[in-house]
Amino acid sequence: MTDHDEVLERAIEGLKAPPELSPDFTVRVMASIAADETPERAPRPRWWRRRWTIEVTPLSLAAAAALGVLAVGLSRAGREGPVPTVVETAALATSTPAAQVTQFLLVAPGADSVSVVGDFNDWSATATPLARANGDGLWWVTVPLSPGRYRYAFVVNGTVWRPDPQTSVVEDEFGRPNSVVTIGGA
Amino acid sequence: MTDESDQSLISRVLGGDRDSFAGLVERYRDRLGRYAVRMLGNQTDAEDALQDTFVRAYRSLGNCRPDGFGPWLYGILVNRCRTYAARRTRSQEVVVANELAVNAAAVGHSADRDAIRDAISWALGQLPSEQREAFLLKHVEDLSYESMEAITGARSSALRMRVFRAREELRKLLAEEVRD
Repeated sequence: MTDHDEVLERAIEGLKAPPELSPDFTVRVMASIAADETPERAPRPRWWRRRWTIEVTPLSLAAAAALGVLAVGLSRAGREGPVPTVVETAALATSTPAAQVTQFLLVAPGADSVSVVGDFNDWSATATPLARANGDGLWWVTVPLSPGRYRYAFVVNGTVWRPDPQTSVVEDEFGRPNSVVTIGGA
Repeated sequence: MTDESDQSLISRVLGGDRDSFAGLVERYRDRLGRYAVRMLGNQTDAEDALQDTFVRAYRSLGNCRPDGFGPWLYGILVNRCRTYAARRTRSQEVVVANELAVNAAAVGHSADRDAIRDAISWALGQLPSEQREAFLLKHVEDLSYESMEAITGARSSALRMRVFRAREELRKLLAEEVRD
């Protein structure tokens, strides 16, 4: 842990201290509720006292069974697929104009490795690996970029091509989906 | 404070015993108050937003799942804080900025616990509200991303990025405070 991490962790502990609310806070809330309450505004139970009736017919049972079989089939197909599973992905590229530093982020808890490929590194899958940021499944890297328009994508586990879902997507000459980031208003 | 469960208190209130709601207020006021104070950076606004939250919760208590009162209440509070923050941005921006500046000036160069807490209160005020919200829910309220999704309506991936960015920015701001 760096000194800066330690300062942040100590600060978080400080933030967890209980607040000093006015001693009469609860009284004020209850007075406000009493003043506000009219017969229409008094709370009444709703959803959990509602009575639900489910009608079962032979046809609906057959349909449910068919759906069950389909779901199991799809589930097995997913497990047996050759593509590594990334539970969740989303990414964002932002830039700091003065420093010309662009940060690439990807949330991929199921990934073993992530890299970013693009115009800026000749689409090399090994030139710009992302590092794990923390236990949240977040990967990141910063790349110094000159002003301009760049196409890029993420490569997960060395094989899975992922455009950034938070940006517009354009296809390259091979039909692969890429994202676009513009630096410095170019 | 009563030992009665949330479910039991809610049943009483829904049965017409309004005073039982005070037990729920007592149980949740400090935890929710902490979030409101840290989020809004201002005791008066925080207490107003919190009171508003409890009044709205009382009115809508019939819509709450009895086993999910806490997260449901958080959802209302997060929305109320957003509304108060937006209202303040429109009408009192200068006053708030001054108050934060005064707090920051009061930090001085001391590295003791109170000074760090004041420094991070100031630093939190520098964050975009979405990042501040995500950071507080994750690191101060210790909520899971699943709960945060339900409370904020934002996707888990977006929340993780906001938390990451908030940590990076706070680390930078606090390092500047310590260095100065």
